[in-house]
Amino acid sequence: MERVPLERKVLSENDRIAGELRERFAQRGILVLNFISSPGSGKTALLERTLEGFPQGTRVAVLTGDIQTDNDAQRLSRYGFPVRQITTAGACHLDARMIERGLEGWDLDQLDLLLIENVGNLVCPTSYDLGERAKIVVLSVTEGEDKPLKYPGIFHKAELMILNKIDLLPYVPFKPELARECANRVHPGIQILEVSCTTGAGLDAWQAWLERRRRAA
Amino acid sequence: MHEMGIASSVIESVLAEAARHPGARVTKVGLRIGELAGIDQASLTFCFEALVKETELESAILAIEDAGCDELDLAYLELEE
Repeated sequence: MERVPLERKVLSENDRIAGELRERFAQRGILVLNFISSPGSGKTALLERTLEGFPQGTRVAVLTGDIQTDNDAQRLSRYGFPVRQITTAGACHLDARMIERGLEGWDLDQLDLLLIENVGNLVCPTSYDLGERAKIVVLSVTEGEDKPLKYPGIFHKAELMILNKIDLLPYVPFKPELARECANRVHPGIQILEVSCTTGAGLDAWQAWLERRRRAA
Repeated sequence: MHEMGIASSVIESVLAEAARHPGARVTKVGLRIGELAGIDQASLTFCFEALVKETELESAILAIEDAGCDELDLAYLELEE
């Protein structure tokens, strides 16, 4: 019997493509953000409000992933910016090759910002690097405060946690302080913003965060 | 949930490595999986076994070691002439 040491990542092919993408984005100074959440936390609503807030001519594009339908791309294309749907036909996450294909035909020199809406899932998208600068996790107040403890991988890797639907706080038993505490247990010092995509509360702080990150890119 | 995709990636790498050892049969595939990797080991083993059925890897067993953080590594192969 012969043992051959390999010592390589299982997802090394995905990581290789993601590395190439990251290089292409960096050369052009494009800020790329990967939005991850459970289904129904409000990723698409957050992107709608974000695009709505941009002046025409903003150099932004969106890739949105779902298992089926182009409903999200239809919702997001109303704002006049380039939007493409990636349908994964069953896969529960986006991978780097899907992003590479999704970008085909777009002139990256015309972009400063690329927003990637992952498939609604807190587990699998966490493992696949898409060449992004940062992962953003969206949690909503109709979920449990302990989601960061139940799905530590994504809360550990995300640079920013957006707590959405805060307009519903008077009607649900959710305690934001407890959610913050849980997030900090798996990721000490994680940045947290509280927003409501329905009323617009907190979105100015989100836009300021985005603006700071765009300038840094 | 994405164990099938992970199992396919593992098999792809194993086949590529096995091709460099003609005449040898892969008997064991060693993986290291961290607790934050989001992988269910039983489900991964199930997917692996389903995918290698009736292939040259049919007799290979998957040996999984626990690791830290989100590690998901192909550690080694064992081959027999």
